[in-house]
Amino acid sequence: MTVIEVEKLTKAFKGKTIVKGLDFQLEKGRCVALLGPNGAGKTTTLRMLSGLLKSTSGIINFSGSQKGEDIRKYIGYLPQYPVFHPWMTGKEFLVYVGQLAHLTKQEASEKADQLLKKVAIYESRNQRIGKYSGGMKQRLGIAQAMIHSPQLLMLDEPVSSLDPIGRREVLTLMEELKTQTTVLFSTHILGDAEEICDDLLLMHQGEILESGSIDALRQRHQSAKFEIALRGDSATYLETLQAFSSVQDVFQEKGEVHVVVEDIELARKEILTKVLEEDWPLEKLALSKTTLEDLFMKVVKK
Amino acid sequence: MQWITIFKKELLEDWRNFKWVWVPLVFIIICIMDPLSTYYLPQILDAVGGVPEGTVIEGPELGPTEAIMFSLTEVSMLGVLVIVAISMAVIAGERKSGVAELVLVKPVSYFTYISAKWAAKLLLVFTAYLIGMLTSWYYVNLLFGDLSASQFIGLFLFYFIWLIFVVTLTFLYNTVVKIPGLVLTLSLITIMAMSAINQIFSFRMPWFPNSISEHITTMLAEGAIPNDLWGAAGITLGLSVILLVASNFILKTKEMAD
Repeated sequence: MTVIEVEKLTKAFKGKTIVKGLDFQLEKGRCVALLGPNGAGKTTTLRMLSGLLKSTSGIINFSGSQKGEDIRKYIGYLPQYPVFHPWMTGKEFLVYVGQLAHLTKQEASEKADQLLKKVAIYESRNQRIGKYSGGMKQRLGIAQAMIHSPQLLMLDEPVSSLDPIGRREVLTLMEELKTQTTVLFSTHILGDAEEICDDLLLMHQGEILESGSIDALRQRHQSAKFEIALRGDSATYLETLQAFSSVQDVFQEKGEVHVVVEDIELARKEILTKVLEEDWPLEKLALSKTTLEDLFMKVVKK
Repeated sequence: MQWITIFKKELLEDWRNFKWVWVPLVFIIICIMDPLSTYYLPQILDAVGGVPEGTVIEGPELGPTEAIMFSLTEVSMLGVLVIVAISMAVIAGERKSGVAELVLVKPVSYFTYISAKWAAKLLLVFTAYLIGMLTSWYYVNLLFGDLSASQFIGLFLFYFIWLIFVVTLTFLYNTVVKIPGLVLTLSLITIMAMSAINQIFSFRMPWFPNSISEHITTMLAEGAIPNDLWGAAGITLGLSVILLVASNFILKTKEMAD
């Protein structure tokens, strides 16, 4: 079942198109990463879905909502840099936004306690938010997004600004949240996406270039590659390698040459023959598989 | 329900940042400053010294109605400045800091958001102005003679209509721009421009909002509410309603993030 369906979603700011006709849908109960480099249009997309920005054109269809209905009640949203009223306590803020989401004071208070425990800031619930650390604010941000048990939880770069410990904690928390609701979160770190997500939307320059489950993407983009390390400047060998009939793509990474091949047997023969013929200063020759990282880098560098 | 939630939150905010303490205090000072200094001018000059021996200083003979109008004049300048200053960030500040991004992503209507904040700010202004004017009334009665309760209530309420307009105007600019300092500037410029227009065209436009204080003077002198006061009060209230509704539409056209 789909939770939200997006058609031709477009956003232009002052003549510049930031988001260019996105089409995608989110399945209920999945955890989806909106992955892309900075400036890809991720935040703008999430803000349109949350109703904070108006789309220039396109349709956002929330399943289960009536036409013209306020879809904000189905959505929980955490901005990249959440700002709170510093004079409120964490508990007060949660009760406040809970009541704004149509909970009674009693319900909001109970839900707030429950969430404060879940995000592990219950001890600081009666402290002014102005005194919270960055990690605590981020966790309070997640709690406020969850206060009305939304059907879709959207988190904008939830771990990017955190230190390693805070990052780990929030990722663990997200693991738990994804069992309760559909989660869409943006990130520019593939590792985070791979770690907790089922599906991936790969976004670059306002377009979605790849989408699907992480496993399917991995399969689809998995091809064999040789990692070759040579003494000296390996750049001089790129052209020779590129010329082989078995070679699809050649790129450099961390001083090594990565050679994506179609036919492993043929490629091995071609490469090794060349190495012997021209006496290349070979230091390493290994067979491996392309990763999503390779895909990500390829897309981003284009 | 949501309306009450936001209304209470605003009251709590102004309580925690001490506005409920200092705004009434400032209004007391604003309201009693002129009547008191006028009354005690001879003694003050005497105490400061520098006046040649034998000089007789006679303050103008003031009646209670003139004395209390001194208070209103100060409210119309310093009081309005304070009112605009405490309202300049009420929505603009939340939009600028980003809190609005968390609040308005919840299913709350913009009109609820605006009107609840408006009512909360108006309650603070009303209270401060009431306390200030009551203090002034006390001293006027003590020093300048009796001012009847009906006269006081009349001038107090009619002038409050002008203050409602000032608050609403500031709210309108809160939705137009999101820099509090700019809200302050635009509001004050508008009020000054209106005051200039009022002075130039006062004979042609007896119902212009800024003319309320002149009509109040007439009311106190004649002991009856002039028709023009009703007219000006009605126009001012109507304009306030229009501005409040306009704020809602303007905020709707704004993006809550950039």
